[in-house]
Amino acid sequence: MDSAVAQKTWELENNILAAEAPDPSSDSIFHYDEVAQAKFLKDKPWANDPHFFKRVKISALALLKMVVHARSGGTIEVMGLMQGKTDGDAIIVMDAFALPVEGTETRVNAQADAYEYMVDYSQTNKQAGRLENVVGWYHSHPGYGCWLSGIDVSTQMLNQQFQEPFLAVVIDPTRTVSAGKVDIGAFRTYPEGYKPPDDHTSEYQTIPLNKIEDFGVHCKQYYALNITYFKSSLDSHLLDLLWNKYWVNTLSSSPLLGNGDYVAGQISDLAEKLEQAENQLIHSRIGPLGTSRKKEESQLAKITRDSSKITVEQVHGLMSQVLKNILFNSVGQQNRNEQPVSDPMIEA
Amino acid sequence: MASSSSSGLTFKLHPLVIVNISDHYTRVKSQMNPPPLTSTSTTVNGVEPLQQAPRVYGCVIGVQRGRTVEIFNSFELLYDPSTHSLDRPFLEKKQELYKKVFPHFYILGWYSTGSDAQESDMHIHKALMDINESPLYVLLNPTINPAQKDLPVTIYESELHVIDGIPQLIFVRSSYTIETVEAERISVDHVAHLKPSDGGSAATQLAAHLTGIHSAIKMLNSRIRVLHHYLVGMQKGDVPCENSLLRQVSSLLRRLPAIESEKFQDDFLMEYNDTLLITYLAMFTNCSSTMNELVDKFNTAYDRHSRRGGRTAFI
Repeated sequence: MDSAVAQKTWELENNILAAEAPDPSSDSIFHYDEVAQAKFLKDKPWANDPHFFKRVKISALALLKMVVHARSGGTIEVMGLMQGKTDGDAIIVMDAFALPVEGTETRVNAQADAYEYMVDYSQTNKQAGRLENVVGWYHSHPGYGCWLSGIDVSTQMLNQQFQEPFLAVVIDPTRTVSAGKVDIGAFRTYPEGYKPPDDHTSEYQTIPLNKIEDFGVHCKQYYALNITYFKSSLDSHLLDLLWNKYWVNTLSSSPLLGNGDYVAGQISDLAEKLEQAENQLIHSRIGPLGTSRKKEESQLAKITRDSSKITVEQVHGLMSQVLKNILFNSVGQQNRNEQPVSDPMIEA
Repeated sequence: MASSSSSGLTFKLHPLVIVNISDHYTRVKSQMNPPPLTSTSTTVNGVEPLQQAPRVYGCVIGVQRGRTVEIFNSFELLYDPSTHSLDRPFLEKKQELYKKVFPHFYILGWYSTGSDAQESDMHIHKALMDINESPLYVLLNPTINPAQKDLPVTIYESELHVIDGIPQLIFVRSSYTIETVEAERISVDHVAHLKPSDGGSAATQLAAHLTGIHSAIKMLNSRIRVLHHYLVGMQKGDVPCENSLLRQVSSLLRRLPAIESEKFQDDFLMEYNDTLLITYLAMFTNCSSTMNELVDKFNTAYDRHSRRGGRTAFI
C-alpha cells in the first residue's frame, strides 16, 4: 500500500521511535529511590564538568501543566517550579507547579511570599506522596521565543551555585498555539568566566527586534539541553482513548482567528528587520566581499527564513479553514466547484 | 446505583485532570511496588511479587458558571483509613495554596480510582458537602483494558432518592464532555503522538499538520458511517424504528451547511486573499534574497575593480 510506505518513510526521516505497547515495567521511572538520589547529591559529579547534564526528560503531566499555566498568563510572563530527580546525565522532570509571582517584578530574588508558597507546597506534596525535590524552574516568554534573557541568566547562575542540580525551562505559549507544536527550551548556564569548548550553533529561532540585543549579549553564557518526553502506560492508554473524544476539537480549532494579533506583530517586526537589512546591505555593497559571510547567514537570509515560517503557519491555518468549509458548507453549493488550495512549498 | 442524572448540569472535563489522576495513581503504585533491582530477584522466589492496586484520593477544582460545570485541575489529598475520611486540615491548606495561583477556581468535588463507586465513598462525599453543596465524584478505572473504546472516567453526582421509604443519597452517573483550550490540545497531542519536536523542513511540518486533520476527519467519517449503517438497518426493518433518534439525525442534517451567508463568504475570501498575499510577499523576499546573493557572487567572480582588469574568471 502506497500510504503505508509513505508513512514508514516519514517515520524514518523523523526518527520516530515505534511506539511499542508500554508495559507496566516501563513505569519504573516513576519510582523515587531516595537512597540513590541522596548518594548522587553527595557525589556532585556536575561540580567539575559544566556541561555535565545533557538531556532532559519531561513527563506528560509536567508538560501539560506548564503549557496550560503559561498560556493562562496571556501576554504576561508567568513562572513556576519543577520537581523531579536526576539520572546520570539526564534531569527528569516529573511534575511542575505554578508560583504566585507577578511577571513584572524582578525575578532575581523571588518575593518572600513565593518562598513561603514553595515551602508549603513542597511539604504538602511530600505528605501526599510526591517525594521528589525541586529540580528547576520554568517561566514563559509569550511571543518572543525560548531563550534566557539577562535577568534569567543571572538568576540561573545564582541557582546553579546554591541549589544544584537546577534546570531552567522556557516556554512560549503564543508560538506554541501559532505553530501547532510545543515551543519549549531547557537551559543550563556556564559558570562565570567559562568558555564553551566549541561554538555549537543552536536551532535557529526568530527573535523580535526589541529583544535581539538582550539575546545576543547573553546567548553564549548558557547551553541548551535535549528534551524528550515520557508518559506512563496508564497515561498512554488514557491519551489514546482521549483521542476518541476530542478529535472534534482538533477539527474545530482555528489558528488563524486565534493568532491574528501575534501574526500582525510578527509581520511588522519583520518589516523593521528588512529596513535594517536594507541599510546594512547598501553600505556593504562596495568592494570585494570578505569570507566572513560564509559562517553566518546574512541578515537577508534570516529574514527570508522568518518570512517563510510565518507564511507556512498561515497556510496551514488556511488549509484547515478550507477543509472545514468543504466538509460542512459545500452541501448546498454543489454547483460551485471548489478550487483546490494551491500549496506553495516554501523550502526554508 | 447508577441511573442517569437529572440535575440538568453539563459537565466539562479537561484532559489535565485525567493526566493528573493517572500520574497520582502511577506514582503511588510504583512507590508501593518498587521495581526489581535485578532481573534475577523475581525468579528466585518463583512467584511474581503481587502488584497492589492502591486507591488514591484527591480533590477536583474548577469553575461553575450557571448550569455548566468545568473541571480544570485537581490535586492530591490524604486518606485516613481509620476514620474513612479525608484529612481535612490538609485539604484546607492545599486549597489555600491553589487559591493563590488560581484565584478563580473553586472546589467542585473529589476523585478516586477504582472500578466502581462503593458505599464507603458516600461517607467521603457527604463530608465534602459543607464545602460544596453538591460535590462531584470523579472515578477513574486504572486497569488497562486494550479492548476498551471509551474513557474509563465516570462522573457521579449525588441525589436524594426515596428507597424503601427512606430518603437516601445515592450516586447517579452524569455524562460529560471533554473540553480543552488550544494550548492544552497541542501539548496533549504532542505527548500522545510524540510528533517530531524539531521544526524540520516545511514538508514535514505540512505532513504533520495534515496528518492530524486527516485522523480527525477519519473519525468523523467512521462515526457517520455508523449512523448510516444504523439508519439503513432501520429502513430494512432489522432494527426497531426509534423516532427520537430519527428526529435527532434529521436535525443534525438540517444544520448543514454550517454557515451560509453573504458576510461569511466575504470574510472567508478576504482571509484567503490575505494568506495568498503573505505567501506572495514571502516569495518576493525569498527571490530578492536569492538575487542579492547572485549579484554578490557575480561581483566577486567578475571583479571589475581588480588590478588585473577586464573580465577574468575567478579560479
